[in-house]
Amino acid sequence: MTSTKLYTAIYVVLFAMATAQVLIEFAGLAYWVGVAAILALSSLKAVMVAGYYQHLRFEPPAISAVVLVGLLAALVLTFAAAYSIL
Amino acid sequence: MNDETRHRTEPDGGHTTDGGHASAGERTTDGEHETDGGRATDGGHATAGDELDPSRIDGHADAAEEAFPPLGSIKRWFVTTNHKDIGILYTLTALFFLVFGGVLALLMRVQLWTPGGNFLSPLSYNQAVTAHGLLMVFWFLSPFAFGFANYVVPLQIGAKDLAFPRLNALSYWLYLFSGVLFGVSFFQGQSLAGGWTMYAPLNLPTYMPNVGATTAILALVLFVASVTVSSVNFLTTMHRMRAEGLTYWRLPLFTWTILLTVWMMLFAFAALLAALLILTSDRLLGTTYFAAEGSGSLLWAHLFWFFGHPEVYIVFFPALGVMAETFQTFTGRRLVGRKWFILAMILVAVQSFAVWMHHMFLTGINLQVKTLFMATTIGISLPFDLMVFALIYTMIKGRIRFTTPFLFSFGALVLFIIGGITGVFLGAIVLDYEFRGTYWVVAHFHYVMVGGVTALIGGLYYWFPKMTGRMYDEWLGKVHFGLFFVGFNLLYFPMFLAWETPRRVIEYDPAFVTWHQLATVGAFVLGASFLVMFWNLSRSLFVGEEAGDNPWEFATTAEWAVPSPPPLENFPGTPSYGSGSLRFLTTERALTPGEGSGGAPGVADGGTTAAVGGIDHDLDSRGLGGHDPDRSHDPNHGHESHASVWPFVVGLASFVVFLGLSGFRDGGLPPGMEGGIYAGIAVVGTAFLAFALVGMARQRFRGPAGPFGESWPFDGVENTKLGVWIFLASDVVLFGAFIGAYVFTRVAHGWVDWHVVPHDPTPGLVNTYLLLTSSFSVVLALVAAEKGSRYGLLAGLTATLVLGVGFLANKAIEWNELFHEGLTLSSSVETSTFYLTTGLHGAHVLVGLLIVLYMMGRAARGAYLDDERPVEYFGLYWHFVDIVWLFLFPLFYII
Ligand SMILES: [Cu+2]
Repeated sequence: MTSTKLYTAIYVVLFAMATAQVLIEFAGLAYWVGVAAILALSSLKAVMVAGYYQHLRFEPPAISAVVLVGLLAALVLTFAAAYSIL
Repeated sequence: MNDETRHRTEPDGGHTTDGGHASAGERTTDGEHETDGGRATDGGHATAGDELDPSRIDGHADAAEEAFPPLGSIKRWFVTTNHKDIGILYTLTALFFLVFGGVLALLMRVQLWTPGGNFLSPLSYNQAVTAHGLLMVFWFLSPFAFGFANYVVPLQIGAKDLAFPRLNALSYWLYLFSGVLFGVSFFQGQSLAGGWTMYAPLNLPTYMPNVGATTAILALVLFVASVTVSSVNFLTTMHRMRAEGLTYWRLPLFTWTILLTVWMMLFAFAALLAALLILTSDRLLGTTYFAAEGSGSLLWAHLFWFFGHPEVYIVFFPALGVMAETFQTFTGRRLVGRKWFILAMILVAVQSFAVWMHHMFLTGINLQVKTLFMATTIGISLPFDLMVFALIYTMIKGRIRFTTPFLFSFGALVLFIIGGITGVFLGAIVLDYEFRGTYWVVAHFHYVMVGGVTALIGGLYYWFPKMTGRMYDEWLGKVHFGLFFVGFNLLYFPMFLAWETPRRVIEYDPAFVTWHQLATVGAFVLGASFLVMFWNLSRSLFVGEEAGDNPWEFATTAEWAVPSPPPLENFPGTPSYGSGSLRFLTTERALTPGEGSGGAPGVADGGTTAAVGGIDHDLDSRGLGGHDPDRSHDPNHGHESHASVWPFVVGLASFVVFLGLSGFRDGGLPPGMEGGIYAGIAVVGTAFLAFALVGMARQRFRGPAGPFGESWPFDGVENTKLGVWIFLASDVVLFGAFIGAYVFTRVAHGWVDWHVVPHDPTPGLVNTYLLLTSSFSVVLALVAAEKGSRYGLLAGLTATLVLGVGFLANKAIEWNELFHEGLTLSSSVETSTFYLTTGLHGAHVLVGLLIVLYMMGRAARGAYLDDERPVEYFGLYWHFVDIVWLFLFPLFYII
């Protein structure tokens, strides 16, 4: 499917992004800008792990859809509940 | 029922013990992979029905396959994995819980004969109310529907069994033992007494200190485990194992309702599991989620009702399916607007996740969100209108035969209309201020829920001849319906009239005493009607007329095209709808359903009803586009397992573990003997469970093998892989709900004022590195397995184990330091969310490591080299755990 080289490259990138996340914390950005950047990095890492290590990129899209529906349900719960007390 | 009347083919030599390291069995496994060539590529056609168990495919199975005892044997019912047997077990067990919950209801009605009656003590009354609700909703309604689902769905879709028969048995035993555990709770001081909604903070030890209350909650956790296993199994089966030509549009309506039900179950029950695990932790470990002022009780309401509203449809949809089937059969025509009916149901299933706050109109949530949820609630009633009209028009256009199943279904429709209309009142914010907590609510949801039961009872009469091979007594059936319908309305209608009575309270205004006495009379009439049913059905088992394949004449779904009861593996050949109507393909010829037995046409529900006549009996199957599954080449190919005692053992062991855990409180045990006993039970139970799980993993077991007809949209994804993914999707919701609970609590307490618990992100960062690296090592292990390198595989697995252990050790050190600073689980809501959420993740890591350990043992003996799929599937889980940490780390350490 894909070579060990690609897996290794992804591993290196993931490692670097994890480090970057902590550095952002100390970069002195405005709080919410920092939060957005950190969560964006987490999401990017998640997509890379799911896409290549779990090889979702090479599976029928329906599988990704199943997982995304679960994710959507969780997000609806989280945001609607939080919004309800704002 | 004796064995002659049941037409099942009993297993012969092929199914009896293979003895020791059965060479025949081993050859089958290997042989399969040989004939199929490559595995990963043609997932759709290589599956040996391997369940979610990494060990089994490797051709080194240790335990011999079990013999499958005949129907008459008691042992059969403990080891069976056949979907029809499991369906019967579900049905009978659910009926037991109907009686259990029903007796509790009668106790309540006796109490309410006069206001504040003293038949039960107030606390006993509260327990009766609570247990009645929980038992009926969880242990009767859904399992009763799943009795039919188990029995009928594989038949309707043309499958020999579910995708994972052993896991199906496991679902049943977990269900049964969760019910037993609930029963035990009455003997531990006092069971849960806060209503079936288990509202916080009433559900905490401060208000409900008894061990029994904890046990009831643990029983629910075990029940959810059963539901989750079952959802994964049904979804895999229904998406992947439909007969050729059985596209979604052609799927029978009962199957459709079950399909939507299990999808809703998969996600809704994951949210309930999150709520229950947090509650369990609050009770057992002393976290303070639900005690937290300003967030606790609302958090419970959100989590519970996010599950709770879909749950209404989870229990109602199967009833709708029964109604659709029986309306078609007994009016002799297809459902009017069938496609729209299906689309409406899909719409409702999706919408059901966006209306939950209509249960919270009287809480402190803001007005905008209340208005929004009032709108979505009105929106969800619209598709139901369409369904109701479709059913009514079907009746008008068809010629009705008033059999017992039809009467019950028709009655259900009437009751559901009343229940639906009275519910609209509750969906309006202003009216809800008036109606909340009154008998209006009680009356409304009983019309809906017991309306659903009415249809399911119709389903019991409808499928009774199929399940037993005998007809029930039609006259007694009608008597049952008459008593049931009169009793039902006598019981619940007066509740609308006495609606100002407060719910769950024994006191009420004496002005309502007549209505309540009428209701009590109605309750006994309703209860008595079931005596008629039990008498009728049990007597008919022995003296009922022989039913024949299709006693209903116009029934068109596939279960009526096979004998009653169907043989062990259901069909005389491979079912196919490829030609437009149902045929059974064998190597010699295509059989027409009902051939030689005078049965009616077995046609796909989805149309083509007319296309039955003139079937070319002698058509050679090789002429049918090569759809002859080349079983003839491999005499062992059809060999499938039907017996395993391990699901029962795992269920029993889980029961023991949970019983032991119930004694814990606030991170400790009750003093003295009692604490010692509970601790002892927990330790013994854990060892027993470990033994049972290893036993189950080591057993060789083969489920239905492909090729399957229709698998869209999961063609090429073999069953086990799809099962893993579906399970992971529910795990996404579980973790999502935990994270949602954290976000909600943090918002409630002021996002930026929140004290981030670990003041040093370093241990978390190190753990991120460890987990990322372990993900990489699992990938390397898989690559090594693909290359056939035993050494590389072992090295990859070992690295994963070491890194995972490092992760847990690092966490232990970190936690230990925090504990020493006085930051314990109960210190604050901040520490509670931190420890519990990362703890749940840690538990996932631990489970993963146990699997790695197990796989290392097998890999050392050469496993996985010619079939690395178990390594791949384990990797899916492990990477998921990694991904979760990618979010937990920033959320709990640096934001
Ligand atoms: Cu609702």
